[in-house]
Formats: sequence, C-alpha cells, structure tokens
Amino acid sequence: MNAAIQFNNVSLSYGSKVDPVEVLKGINFSVSSEEIVSIIGPSGSGKTSIIMLASGLETATEGSIKINSQEIVGLKENNLSEIRRKNIGIVFQSFYLIPNLTATENVLLSLEANQKYNQEEEAKKLLSEFGLSHRLDHLPSELSGGEQQRVAIARALINKPKIILADEPTGNLDSANSQSMMDLLFEYTKKSKTSLVMVTHDNSIAERCDRIIEIKDGQIV
Amino acid sequence: MVKLFDTQQLRLINKYAIRDFSRSYKKLWVIASTLFISLLLLSLTFSVKEALNNEITANSKELLGGDIQLSTGIDPLPDLIVDELKTLGVVSTAIELATMVSSIDMAPVFTELRAVDDHYPLYGEIVSSPPGSAEKIFSTTKPMVLINESIQNLLKVKVGDDVLIMGKTFEVAGLVVSVPDIAESAVFGEFAIIGKASYDKFELSSGGSFLDYEYRLKFSNPSNANEQNKIVESIVAYDDTIETRLPGESGQRLGRVIDNFSNFLNLVSVSAMIIAGIGISNTLLSFVNQRNTSIAVKKSIGFSSNFIQLMYFYEIILILITTSIIAYLFGVFSPLLANELLPKSLGIDLQPTVSLIGYLNIFFIGLLVVLIFSIPSLYSISEIKAVALFRNTFQPVSLNFSLKNIVLLFILVVILTTYFVLQTEQKFYTVLYFVAFFITMLIFYGVSRLLISFLKKFHKFSSNGYRIAHRNIIAKKSLAPIMTVSLGIGLTLLLTLSFVANNLKQEISDTIPSMAPDLFFVSIDRDIQPDLESFIKSIDPEVMLEFSPMASASFISLNGTPIEELVSENNRSAWVVRGDRRISWSEKPNPDNPIIEGEWWEPGNENEMFISMDSRAAYDLGMSINDKITLNILGRDVTGTIKNFREVDYRDISINFAIIINKAFANKLPYEYIGTLKSDVSSNDILARVVEQFPNVSAIKVDRILSQVSGVLNKIFIAVTGISLIVIVIGLIVIVSAVLVQTTFRRYNNLIYKILGVDFPTILRAMTIEFVLIYLTLVFFALSVAIAGSYLIVENTLQLTWRFDLGLTLWILLTTALVSFVMILIANKSIFSPKVYPLIRNE
Ligand SMILES: Nc1ncnc2c1ncn2[C@@H]1O[C@H](COP(=O)(O)OP(=O)(O)OP(=O)(O)O)[C@@H](O)[C@H]1O
Ligand SMILES: [Mg+2]
Repeated sequence: MNAAIQFNNVSLSYGSKVDPVEVLKGINFSVSSEEIVSIIGPSGSGKTSIIMLASGLETATEGSIKINSQEIVGLKENNLSEIRRKNIGIVFQSFYLIPNLTATENVLLSLEANQKYNQEEEAKKLLSEFGLSHRLDHLPSELSGGEQQRVAIARALINKPKIILADEPTGNLDSANSQSMMDLLFEYTKKSKTSLVMVTHDNSIAERCDRIIEIKDGQIV
Repeated sequence: MVKLFDTQQLRLINKYAIRDFSRSYKKLWVIASTLFISLLLLSLTFSVKEALNNEITANSKELLGGDIQLSTGIDPLPDLIVDELKTLGVVSTAIELATMVSSIDMAPVFTELRAVDDHYPLYGEIVSSPPGSAEKIFSTTKPMVLINESIQNLLKVKVGDDVLIMGKTFEVAGLVVSVPDIAESAVFGEFAIIGKASYDKFELSSGGSFLDYEYRLKFSNPSNANEQNKIVESIVAYDDTIETRLPGESGQRLGRVIDNFSNFLNLVSVSAMIIAGIGISNTLLSFVNQRNTSIAVKKSIGFSSNFIQLMYFYEIILILITTSIIAYLFGVFSPLLANELLPKSLGIDLQPTVSLIGYLNIFFIGLLVVLIFSIPSLYSISEIKAVALFRNTFQPVSLNFSLKNIVLLFILVVILTTYFVLQTEQKFYTVLYFVAFFITMLIFYGVSRLLISFLKKFHKFSSNGYRIAHRNIIAKKSLAPIMTVSLGIGLTLLLTLSFVANNLKQEISDTIPSMAPDLFFVSIDRDIQPDLESFIKSIDPEVMLEFSPMASASFISLNGTPIEELVSENNRSAWVVRGDRRISWSEKPNPDNPIIEGEWWEPGNENEMFISMDSRAAYDLGMSINDKITLNILGRDVTGTIKNFREVDYRDISINFAIIINKAFANKLPYEYIGTLKSDVSSNDILARVVEQFPNVSAIKVDRILSQVSGVLNKIFIAVTGISLIVIVIGLIVIVSAVLVQTTFRRYNNLIYKILGVDFPTILRAMTIEFVLIYLTLVFFALSVAIAGSYLIVENTLQLTWRFDLGLTLWILLTTALVSFVMILIANKSIFSPKVYPLIRNE
C-alpha cells in the first residue's frame, strides 16, 4: 500500500499532564496518493488539529504519523522543515501571503525553499493559468480575497507536492468565488497527481471529494 | 538545515536580505543611524590616534632635534668633549633658560628662552613670520629675538620693536610659529629664541638651576647610528648626570598623553556602541514581531528557523558593512580636520592613512556588538510557531535568553573586553570600566523593574492621567526599561564627567587662587637674595614673602637598586625620580606639611644626610622609613636615610618639595633660592620694578599659569562633554525608536481612551506623568552613580575636595529631560493626529 498520509492511533492534548485538554483521541486514518479527502465536523471538533499534525507543525502527544511512509512524530524542527517543503503544500483560510512580496514572489518562495532557483517563468505561468496574468507584480494588499487565495493555492501547488493540506480554503470567500476556487484546486490536484486533504464546512464541496472523514469530539465517526 | 557553504542558499539569503532591506529600510534606520554614529566616534578616535602616532614616529628626529641629544644641566660640556663629538658629525648647542622679557610699557613676562647656534635646527625648520625672519637672530650687527604670539600679545610689541631680556635690548625679528622639537611653552605659554652668539656676548647666564645646556648631534654618516650612539655614550660616560636621549624617546610623553586620551575616547565610543546595541536589539525584536506572520508562512513552506535567522542576520551585517565603511572613511580623513583644530605651534601635520587592518578593527568591534545584541532578538524567531496561521492568533515573542545564548553572549562580551584590553596600556582601568559599565547597565535595568513592580503594588491615585500613565508603565511593552538603561547610562556619564570637570575648574578658579601666591620667583642667586628681599619690602612693607633654599639633585637608587629598575614609567609618582629634581632643606618641620610617619631629625648633624619624603610619593615608590636613598647632587653621589614621610599638598602652589634634607648637611652645598610673594600691590608693578632692578631675577605670575591651565582644561572638557553628549544622543535615538515601535500599540490604547471620553489634555498629562516617573527614577540612580564615581575620582585620583554643584546638576537634568520629552512627544505625534479614527474600521 502506498499511503500519502497515515495516522495511527494519534492523540493530541494540550495543557498540563494533570489536567489535559484532550483534542484528538486515537485517530486512525490514511490517505492514499492522488486521493481527495475532506474533513468535516462541528466547530471545535478537532479538524484543524488534524491538519496541523499532518503538516508537522504540531506534535502529536501519542501515536504515529507517516508522511510518504516516513515517521514524523519525534523529528527535529529542521527535519520536519525538510519533509514539509518536499512533500506538503498548505492553504490557509486567511491566505497568508507575505505582505511585502508580489504575487509572483510569493509563489517563488515555495520553489526557492526547495532549492529551485530562477524559475520565475514557471511561477508566472501557473499564476496566469489561475487567471492572474494581470496581477503578477501586485502586492497582496492590492489583490482581492479571491485573487489572494488563488496566489496562495499557486504557492502550495507550484512545487508539485505529494500532499496539499487545506483548512477551510474557501472560508473567507463568497460562494461564487468558492466554487471557482474549488474547480481550480480539484483540477490541479488531479493533474499533478497530488493528494488533497481539506477541511470544509460546505457540504457541496465535501461531496465532490473522493471520501469524507467526519470528526466529532476529537474522534472519527 | 542550512549548510553554510551551500552557495545557492547563500545567494538566496543574499537575495532575500537585499529585497527585504530595500522594502523596509525605513524600519531599520535606527540600527543604521546609531551604528553609524558610534562607529564614527570609534573610527575618529582610531584614525586621529594613529595619525598622531605616525607623525611622532615619522618625525622622531625632528622632535628630538637630532640623531642624539645630550643634556648637561647648568654646566656646559667642556670644549674638549664637544670637539670629540664634532668628529662624528654636526653638533648644535642650545641653552634653555627661564627668564623675563619686558617691553617699555608692559609688565615683564616669564619666558622660556632658547639660545641656539646657527646649526639649529638639525632636522626640520623654524617656521617664522614674516618668513625668513628666523635667520636674523644669527645676525652679528644687532641682537635679534624671535618671540611667540603670546609674548607679542602680552607685551604689545610688533616686529622691529625692542624688548629687554635681562637688561639687554633685543629687536623683535619676527614671530616664531613652530619649532620642530616642540617646546611646550611654545604651545601653551611664552617662548622666545635668540642666537647663541648674543647669549654669549651679553653673558646672559643667570647661573640659576632653571638653565639647561643641550647638545644635539647629526651624524655625518647616519647608517650605523647604533654604533655611533655607543661612541657618544662612551665619550660622556665620565659624568653620569649627563642625560642622553634618542629619537623616539622625546615623543614618548606626548605619545602617552595621546594614548590615555584615545583610550578614554575608545571606552566612551564602545559605551555609545553598546547603547546603540540596545536600540538594535529592541528594533530587531519589534521587526521580528511585525513580521510574525511572514516568518510563520516561511516556516510553513518549509524554511527552517536557521535559514530565516541567517537571513535577518545577514541583513544587519549588510547594514554594518555599509555604515562601518562610511564611518571608516569619515574617520580616515578626520586627521585633516584635526590639523585645523590643533594649535599651529605644535607644528603637526597629520596625514590620513587608509589601511585594511584599520577598517577591520572597527568592523570587528561593530560585529561583536551587533552579535551580542542581535542574538537574543533573532533567536526569538525560533519561538514563532507556524501553527498560529491556523488559529489566526499571534503571540508577540520576546528576547530569547536560553542557556546556550547566555553562554554565547558571555563569551562574546569577554572577547569584546579582551580585545579592548589588549589594545591599551591601561589594562586594569579598561577592565574596571567594562565591569563598571555592565554593572551600571544591570543596575539601571533592575531599577526599571523595581519601578514597575513598585507601581504594580501601589496605584492609589484616582486621577485619569495617572491611571493611564500607570498602565503604560506596567504594560508589557513598557518604555521604562529601555528608557532607563539607554538614557541612564548616557546621563551617568555626562553627570560624572561634568562633576569632575566642575570640581577641577572650581579648584583652579577659586580655591587655588585664594591660597596661591601672586608671584613665584625661580632661581635667585644666593648673593642677591637679601637685597631682593629688602627691595621688595621697600615697595610693600606688608608683603608676604617666603624664600627657600634649593639645590638640584637627581635620584640614583633606592637601597642600592638603580631607581629605573624599581619604578615603571606609568607609576603615578615617577616624576619624583625622573630627571633633575629640586630639593630643599630645613631644620624644623613645616607646619603645612604634617609628618605622618617617622620623626623629624635633631639639628646639627653635618656629616650625614637625612631625608624627609612626600608621603604619597613614598607610598607609590614603595619606600619605608630608614631606607637608603642615593641622590646625585652637583655631580656627587650622596646616600642618605629616610627619616620621615610628610603629607604635602601641592595645590597651594607655594614652595613644596617632594624631598627635603637636613640643613646641617645641606649647608655645604652650593645653592640658590626660590621664593613666593603675595601682596596687595599689583604683581605687575612689583614685577616690573624688580626686573628693572634685578634683570637676572625671573618670576612666574601664578594667575597667568592658572589661566593657561584652565584654558587647556576648558578645551578638554568641551571635547569630553561633547563626546558624552553623543552617548546621550544615541540613547535618545534608541528611546525615540522604542516609542515609534510602540506607537501602533499606544495609538490603539489612546484611541480607546478617547472613545471612552478621555480628552487630549488628560492623555498629554498621562504622558507627562509617565515620563516624569521614569525620568525621576533613572535620575535618582544616575545621580547616585555619578556622585559616587566623581567623588572617587576627585578625592582619590585628583586629591581634591569634592563639592556638589546644585545649579549645574539641575541644568543638566532639566535640559536632558526637556529634550528627551520633546523628542518623545514628537515621536508620538501620530497619536495626537485626528487620523486615528480610521483605525476603528481597520481593527
Ligand atoms: N492550545 C490549545 N490549548 C487548549 N485547547 C486547544 C488549543 N488549541 C485548540 N484547542 C481546542 O482544541 C479543540 C479543537 O480545535 P480545532 O481548531 O482543531 O477545531 P476545529 O474543528 O478546527 O474547529 P473550527 O471548525 O471552529 O475551526 C477546540 O475545542 C479548541 O478549544
Ligand atoms: Mg478549524
């Protein structure tokens, strides 16, 4: 089996050992390559926490998490950075473009993190495909929310990562924008044979995915 | 993981850093400006010092006036010996003596007179005005003299006028601007040159001990100077009172003065740099916090903390390189400016020197300071968590003082201190300064924390202004710590130096004149002393006149060990054992000089020499009662026993001697008198009449000396205060930057206050209260440290009575407060602008 992501009995809790807040309890699931999975569940159920763990930005309290068959629980920051930049692209609800970099430069950042230099044409090409050919040299503050999110998706995709993690990518967009954004995301993950794990509140979006994982109170139902 | 030698990575870092800098340089101006000012100060100090030292080394022969110099004191060398010297090259004979020069209308002035033969100077030239007038002093038709500008002003004479020297008429040939072998009196006092022929013709020799024969040699074959020096030394070996000096030795004293002063400047510069460092640290931290999300995004993309830290560090290094190069270039050309500022009579022409080592020296110090202050800020980057991007909440990070960082910082501080210590002669004082500096810094930091915790406990006032001020001070981003440390240190330095300066000035302008005599007679022939005394008493019967016998002696050994082996050049009391020293004698102890150890001697022991020593010199030179001292008195070595130590107060400029011997023994010695005079009659009148009657008597006007000294001191103090002002300016920049960093946060707070109905005057009042609270706290400690520091310097090092000047203190404190407060208000001006309202929509 060739799993892109594998969660094995993963728990996450915050606070002291005496009085812990258990956020995730014994999570088991896997996402195979090229699979598109959505995570749904009520607010506070632990969806974002799963994405954080999968990205290696948060450390599991217990259990094992494998990215591309490589165990990431217990790795040092530098090794995690390496795994992340080689395998994972992240799309945030609030876009998070770097404010003093242009659209192209924001996308390039991702390539350069992977020692791919002088690929400006590549970045511009992708942005143009995303309908941003007239916004290449604009700063984020000069872009609309939808445009910003398209840049953010381009930034996540440009590296052709094995996995895209997205936390409510359309949460800050109106429904028209949301649908076109999703079209883009689905089209490109398919095209580049990437797995996509996406948290969403939008059932119409969830239904378009290969599989839905539902979370409640920190557990998969 | 960033591999340091991955060139691609480095290129990327370079690209990011330059891009980041070009888009946010406005936020980094504090780092650039404070670094620049402090590096400039350091660079100026280094360059001028190097240029001065180069000048001294390059002109060592000019400064000495020959390849070798012999001083024989009051007796000339026998002709036979001079002839022997002449076989080696050209010999120039010069006589230096203290004498009076007078004109018809004006009171005589005490002058250092140099009589030179026509070989003088062997190296360099006499710069005179009008040009060429120097030649005229060798004219045989009419006796001519070159005087310096100071004499010209005092005697109100011009070229072609006549002046009197020891009763003989000389025509003023011109002004002497400078001589190659710098005469101190040419720089600070009165100086004149005549031809040796006139000196011999008029038999000007007053015979007193304030007379020195000097012989300078220029070898005809300069290649093997060492060997010829040995020959010269063997020729004069018959008399061990003859002093020989080689090139380089004459610049030593000047070199030491330059060293001390530049060492002081270096320490001030490094203090300025450390305060700049506080600004760097604070700016960087707020820089990191402003880029919180960008850093988090970079981390989420897969950049490591190391990479991001390295990028920002690289950015600062770029700033350091740029500012240090500019500062260095300014420094390099500063000797040209120094040439304009230094007295012309020094005859110094400094040359700018560019050297890589010189630059690296400055860069290295800058690098150490930047490292020390950027490490805790930049390491905070590792505390920024990318998960915050999922939660949209960002915690501001604070300085990272992990154990690893503390160890690293400690090592860097030790390297910085060691680097300075290795470059200076005063190693002990340098270490002491650094320790004191860092302790003071810690104290100020502690004080600000004390204020905060004190205010946290007590907040019983209900006025709105006070409540807001209170909240601002105890807030996490309080201005208190940074303001106390950066302004506190500058203020401490300024207060300490001003206190010391003020004490010295008052001493010279008030205390000394009230105690000191009006006139100081030097070398009075013992035969004319009774006549002189009665003559003066006939002018003013009430006069206070005191004469002491005096002979010249030089220190040979202590308990049989040659004194040079016992006393280092840097010894505080080295002057007592160096060169010719005047000694006196007395039958009874002087009540002004209380004996603090040992006992006075019984009168009447003429075969044995008993010695009474200045207690401070004795302590410095490691002497104890009953030690044997050998003195050379008039060419004869005499050994005597130390009987007691006296406490001598040199401040009253009355007749004080470091060494006093028993009168019975001294009666056999040839001697002369020195004397002091204090009178209600104008000292100018007395002097004019005395010199008319006794042309060979020389007297120094004490007020003239004091005004010279205070003139020099004033210049030094202006320089020193100016420099400590730079430290304050840097402190202010740091504070202003801290205020600017805070304005967003404060603007928001003040906006809320406004919405809550707090009016503008209340906010202004709040800011004033906040400022006053912090300032009073820091002043309290700055003043304590400055009082303690200046007290130690004034009482222990300068041996004066410390006094507090309330007016001066208030002036400094109020001016600094006013300037700081206005700067803070200006930095805060955006708070008061009505534009704050759009903020409501954005927040
Ligand atoms: N640092 C923390 N300390 C304690 N509890 C935390 C912490 N971070 C998150 N939690 C809790 O973990 C739970 C899961 O949070 P998570 O963000 O994963 O929920 P979510 O499913 O993404 O919710 P939403 O749909 O509202 O975004 C929440 O109840 C939250 O209160
Ligand atoms: Mg969530």
